[in-house]
Amino acid sequence: MTTRQKQMLYVGATLIVVIAWTFYTADGPQTTAVLAGTVRAATLLVLGAMCGMIGERSGVVNIGIEGQFLLSAFAAFTIASMTGSLFLGTVAGVGMGLIMGWMLAAMAVGLKVDQIIAGTVLNIAALGLTSFFYDRSRSLGMGKYTNIDLGPLADIPLVGTVFFSRPPLTYLTMVLLVVVHVALFRSVWGMRTRAIGEHPGAADTVGIDVLKLRYFNVTIAGGLAGLGGSYLALEAVGTFSRAMSGGRGFLALAVMIFGRRTPFGAYAAALFFGFTTALQNQFQLNSTFDIPPQFVGMLPFVVTIIVVALSGLIGSMRDPAALGQVYEKG
Amino acid sequence: MAPKRRHLLALLMVLGLVTAAACGSDDGGGVSGGYSIGLVTDTGKVDDKSFNQSAWEGAQQGAADIPASATASYIETEESKDYANNIQLFLDDGAKVIVTVGFGLGEATIEAAKANPDVMFIGVDQWQDDALPNLAGLMFPEATAGFMAGALAGMLTETDIVGAVLGTDLVPPVVFFKEGWENGARYTNPDVQTISTYHPGGLDVAFGDPEWGATTARQALDQGADIIFGAGGATGNGALIEVAGEAGALCVGVDSDQWFTVPEAHPCLVTSAMKLIDVGVAELIGQAYAGTMQGGNFFGEVGLAPFHDFDGIVTDEMRATLDDVMAGLADGSINPMPE
Repeated sequence: MTTRQKQMLYVGATLIVVIAWTFYTADGPQTTAVLAGTVRAATLLVLGAMCGMIGERSGVVNIGIEGQFLLSAFAAFTIASMTGSLFLGTVAGVGMGLIMGWMLAAMAVGLKVDQIIAGTVLNIAALGLTSFFYDRSRSLGMGKYTNIDLGPLADIPLVGTVFFSRPPLTYLTMVLLVVVHVALFRSVWGMRTRAIGEHPGAADTVGIDVLKLRYFNVTIAGGLAGLGGSYLALEAVGTFSRAMSGGRGFLALAVMIFGRRTPFGAYAAALFFGFTTALQNQFQLNSTFDIPPQFVGMLPFVVTIIVVALSGLIGSMRDPAALGQVYEKG
Repeated sequence: MAPKRRHLLALLMVLGLVTAAACGSDDGGGVSGGYSIGLVTDTGKVDDKSFNQSAWEGAQQGAADIPASATASYIETEESKDYANNIQLFLDDGAKVIVTVGFGLGEATIEAAKANPDVMFIGVDQWQDDALPNLAGLMFPEATAGFMAGALAGMLTETDIVGAVLGTDLVPPVVFFKEGWENGARYTNPDVQTISTYHPGGLDVAFGDPEWGATTARQALDQGADIIFGAGGATGNGALIEVAGEAGALCVGVDSDQWFTVPEAHPCLVTSAMKLIDVGVAELIGQAYAGTMQGGNFFGEVGLAPFHDFDGIVTDEMRATLDDVMAGLADGSINPMPE
């Protein structure tokens, strides 16, 4: 990041804090409600974005995140309702995500199937399988994950409620942000991952097993989407319903691109998407403006198109060079 | 990868696709012999724990009630572009009565009814401007149902804030529920503040997005609402389950008695604003069989579901007021949705 970009970041962050605080002093409960809704809507998106990011950094496009969410949510819900344990359900969701990740890797890396088609197969299969096997008599008798207050941190006005009085998987996601960031940019694994996404041929000549690492990365990334599925079924909603992922797996890809394939960038983008949802809800709750809800619902997508197009023009956003390409050992 | 494993994997993928394709148009059983009744769902599913399910139960009931041997079967619509095709599938199979569920199928149903005068059509939630002899639109006064629920909510709220998390304003019955709910709450509690939200998406997602429903319900709870009306398929169900996690808050379901369809909502579900879709569909099927079905609009019944676990918190005074409200709605002295 250049010095200028850093300056802009600090200015932006300060502005957001000042604006949030101004609104908080004007109407505490409403501001808290909007920002809490923002963080909540961002969690699933950033998990999907991190899944996509690890794949793309290694050169594999994953458009099957939607399917990974859905089937993992199904697995998490089914196991949780059978065993009565949310924890076991979460583990099952992550496990299903890993399996889906492995399937994508097997198709895209092992069988060298077109990556877009491989991802589409996951999406279609997940919708079909979950619709077929969904048993509507199941329910989570014990309820979903509830908020945990992080001691004195939760008592801080505004920030405490928004960030430190959350359910467990949200905290886990915040920890994973740091973990993925450090792993991608400060570890040998991360360096190798980025190398096989940029120039697999060169990586191969220095002794990195490109196919093996891609296999591993896409599978592991599936675990993140699996956690997203668990979050969706066991923490955000508390049940399963058909096609409940509602396109968020695709939205996660937009979030990933918007966030320049970095965890914190993606989180900022996810928060922005979450914020527009929460804000348009608040407009309606207050009956502030008589504008159609669909209009405000559309805004994040319009902004994404503008940002992606602009940064494409300026050239500050660049895909990994080997993205989407099959690697044949030469 | 060894060739053998490669084959196995390819087989697995194909299996996945076949399963998906098989569910693409989920056929609830073949139409064969006897008096056959076909039901086409909206983009929701027959097990949506809401109106598609209610209509399907009504179709099964209707088939059981008529004297001849009758079979009922359904097709679930995956995408709105398939409405006409799915109706045609039943026509090709020789169905005698076709039930189409939902506002969205209105146009396709009218077209099919015009082209097939010998087949009886029942359109749930489809208002008929021009009566066709073989098409009955099963309508419900949603505003009345919403008004009853709102009147109860207005008396039960302690914060004087009642919330509603709704499907989409693109579907008129949802708007009627909302307006009725808000007017009802104001009727019994003039100080009440009503906060309501529609889903921002289109018809494809508005009734199938429980995460949005839950997040939005939380947003309403966070700013003081203590009773929330969840009206909009799985989206509304998400709202009900979210409220269930909040101690002391109440929720109100929609369409059918959601006590039985969303058990996760038991900690908060005080009642549901019901449209007796199953009763209406079964009755119309009986009429169609007897040849007494009239074209045009047929109005079904609405009502409040039992209070179940919350029977104790509804005082005699509240019950008396509710009775007055219902009497007023029935004789027309209360208008649930004044312009």
